[in-house]
Amino acid sequence: MSAAKSYDERSIWWLVAADFLHSRIAVGGLVLLAVVVLAALLAPWITPQNPYDLLQLDVLDARLPPGSHSSEGGYTYWLGTDGQGRDLYSAIVYGLRISLTVGVGSALIAAVVGTLVGLVAAYAGGKVDALLMRLVDLLLSFPTILMALMILAYVGKGVGNVMLTLVLLEWAYYARTARGQALVEARREYVDAARGQGIARWRIVTGHILPNCLPPLLVIGALQIARAITLEATLSFLGLGVPITEPSLGLLISNGYQYLLSNEYWISFFPGVALLAAIVAINLVGDQLRDVLNPRLQK
Amino acid sequence: MSAVPVQDLEVPTLEVRNLQTRFHTRAGVLPVVDGVSFTLGRGKVLGLVGESGSGKSVTGFSIMGLVDPPGKVEGGQVLFQGRELTQLPATERRELRGNRIAMIFQDPMATLNPVLRVDTQMIEAVKAHQRVSTEEARRHARDTLGRMGIPSPEERLRAYPHQLSGGMRQRVAIAIAMLHGPDLIIADEPTTALDVTIQAQILSEVQKLVRETGTSLIWISHDLSVVASLADEIAVMYAGRIVEHGTVADVLDHPQHPYTRGLIDSLPSANARGARLRQIQGMTPSLLDMPVGCAFAPRCPHADAACEQRPGVSRPRHDAPWHEVRCFHPQRDTLVPAVSAALPATARVPAQEQDVPLIALRQVAQRFGATLPPGAVGRTLRSIGLSKPPVVTHAVDGVDLSVRPGEVVGLVGESGCGKSTLGRIAAGLLTPTEGEVIVGGKPATSLSGEEQLAARLRIQMVFQDPYASLNPRLRVSRIVGEAALLHGLTDASGQDDYVCAQLRRAGLDPALRHRYPHQFSGGQRQRIGIARALAVQPSMLVCDEAVAALDVSIQAQILNLFMDLRDQLGLAYLFISHDLGVIEHLCDRVVVMYLGRVVESAPVAELFARPAHPYTQALLDEIPSIDARRTTFSAIRGEIPSPIAPPSGCHFHPRCPKAMPRCRAEVPQLRGIAVRHATACHLYEATYDTN
Repeated sequence: MSAAKSYDERSIWWLVAADFLHSRIAVGGLVLLAVVVLAALLAPWITPQNPYDLLQLDVLDARLPPGSHSSEGGYTYWLGTDGQGRDLYSAIVYGLRISLTVGVGSALIAAVVGTLVGLVAAYAGGKVDALLMRLVDLLLSFPTILMALMILAYVGKGVGNVMLTLVLLEWAYYARTARGQALVEARREYVDAARGQGIARWRIVTGHILPNCLPPLLVIGALQIARAITLEATLSFLGLGVPITEPSLGLLISNGYQYLLSNEYWISFFPGVALLAAIVAINLVGDQLRDVLNPRLQK
Repeated sequence: MSAVPVQDLEVPTLEVRNLQTRFHTRAGVLPVVDGVSFTLGRGKVLGLVGESGSGKSVTGFSIMGLVDPPGKVEGGQVLFQGRELTQLPATERRELRGNRIAMIFQDPMATLNPVLRVDTQMIEAVKAHQRVSTEEARRHARDTLGRMGIPSPEERLRAYPHQLSGGMRQRVAIAIAMLHGPDLIIADEPTTALDVTIQAQILSEVQKLVRETGTSLIWISHDLSVVASLADEIAVMYAGRIVEHGTVADVLDHPQHPYTRGLIDSLPSANARGARLRQIQGMTPSLLDMPVGCAFAPRCPHADAACEQRPGVSRPRHDAPWHEVRCFHPQRDTLVPAVSAALPATARVPAQEQDVPLIALRQVAQRFGATLPPGAVGRTLRSIGLSKPPVVTHAVDGVDLSVRPGEVVGLVGESGCGKSTLGRIAAGLLTPTEGEVIVGGKPATSLSGEEQLAARLRIQMVFQDPYASLNPRLRVSRIVGEAALLHGLTDASGQDDYVCAQLRRAGLDPALRHRYPHQFSGGQRQRIGIARALAVQPSMLVCDEAVAALDVSIQAQILNLFMDLRDQLGLAYLFISHDLGVIEHLCDRVVVMYLGRVVESAPVAELFARPAHPYTQALLDEIPSIDARRTTFSAIRGEIPSPIAPPSGCHFHPRCPKAMPRCRAEVPQLRGIAVRHATACHLYEATYDTN
């Protein structure tokens, strides 16, 4: 055998990756996602303008159609400009940054909080379990937007506050899944084996049960990121999300909305396309992850 | 009607010629069935025997035309009453399936639709091939159930599958297969999941049906002994090929192929009690990486260069041309009698009566069941009829059991008898709801935290399912080494060596310690489980059906490992099994359980020579054995009652041939009837009361 590891020495995650790459659509989604993420990461280097620096904006360039030339900077507005004279391309790339930060950040924090709550519920059982799960039921039974609007109306606008709101809304999904999965795993024989070896309970939960609960949580995480981005866009569109000085994709769409009827479609259209691309990419990856990690669908 | 000639005896029911079925997987092409040929006459029973992965089931599926992608029948012919099936259009094949050719599967719960009543499913099956009214179809269904010997068929017809017991479900599945009086039935391990007494009943019923109707039967099984009692012919498969095919007497009494001999030799019943089993080395080769020559050559004691260069050809035995063997070096001599060939049993000092038991259970009981809602609220709810009184199941009901250092105690019983629950109590995984657990002479409840940990480590468990009992996300090195490191049996620097030593003791290559469990075979996984148990330096292992999931040749290897560990480390065992052959071979003392209670307990020789309790006697009668080629089964009647509502008095009385009125009313106490021999049966009270 060569220096490379043989097929059957690879870890489970390696096999999952191999399975994942089997669907062309999923690979397409992964590539699209990579482009979106890279664009967001490299924003200052790939854009001609910093859309948050008001000094770089020129009101005279407001609402120029795609392909127009800037009056001072000497570059082309490939996607046109918005009502403040922002280069839309730059604004979209920077907006992606905010949307992704909010989406990924809130989904991650919610995942940690939710998983913790779920494990505690499964571990403790009894009254603690019942109490926590009823709280989850309560949260999940409220219309999401309404809850978000209420929370935001109370805490106020801002990137941090939007993330806080999203975390408050989303942890329940993780909690329910983590608890269910942990209860299933806790009944497996390997847990009995660990108990029989005198391994402490918290260690069994974190070291043995938790790793086996990760696959479904990962899937939920991927899909919840997309959900969080959508929700943030909706909230910003409704004017309760991020501040106008640091527009996210939703806010950009909202800003262009009023000009749609005057045929200046691009101000809303291109941010919308970017939002669509990001969400489709994440959903494609998430769906494939779900299929690959679900033993029932495995060949 | 098609052009099938009028059936005459010259045309065999089934002729399979050079059948090739391959599976195209991502890892490569697997030749799962690789040139299988055989002929099956009308009314004959062929036992198709092989270990997992030998291709026996896929052979059955290929004949049925039920191979799903990525599998594909890629060569050979299947002639059913002279008619070639593999090239037949799908519609014509479907017309044959269920009508002329029927199949019975291992898991009847998966074959029967859980949301439809039995009659709906049977009527549909009748109407698929006959233009009859629903009433006629239903009558036909009821008659068929009746012919299967199913009591009160009308009631069964109205039931949903989950309301029937496992044995009854399988009978219904067999009845569905028999609906159209097929000419050929392919049965894929239909009794493997059933209890011994139920298996015996079904075997006798199937045998009767086959004789009456002239149906040909292919009985696929991993178990030579089951096939021995049922079949006319046996074909042994190994790695996709039939290596030996002949009559039952040919194959079992004069096995020519070294693999067949190995299989027979490795049965516990073919070896002297307590001695190491003769085993086949190694394991089945991967179909991805098949040897060029004979597939068995790498494991064969007689293999030479010729075997490794080209595959063996099936050749008739010189003195019995119907007995075909695919081997260059067929073994002509008769089977060596077991006793003379077996290694002498190591001189073990039997456990002494006065030794302090490692563990003693005193009148332990384990109740499961709804206890909610408790207290005053529950009483109120119950009084106004909103809550039913809790259903309490006595999984274990007042059992005494002790295991002394170095002693091997066998725990036998059928499903629902509470043997696994008792094992988990012994291993400290369950705290009994009643009774006392005494560990090393001290009540478990009086132990300090530290002593409790030590007591827990002293008794380790080896589980039945080698897949579920290993954490799939952890590497073997951590699975085996974690507890030892945590409890200070080794330190971080010595852990790697420590793990290697444990793996070596369990017969595994330490180089594999960085792999994950899914990269191992079933037998290897069981060794990992054993290494994990050994790593905390126990003095006793509780083995819960620890070899039940393994292939015969692998089972022998693991049993030998258990015996080696017993001799080298002086380990004691509580060996839980439904397999009396294994129990007889391994154990010093046997405890028989029925529905939560101990019915008999005796030293192994005594129990097998003079079984006292009618249940024990029945169990011993029903062990399938390759020596007992029975044509009749003295099956105990009836089913195992549900432990939720066990019969009154002696739980066994509804099935007991010697039941007296007293048995229905009074629970028999366990009492001594000879030295170290105790039984709970009213039959023996009068005789031995004076002792």
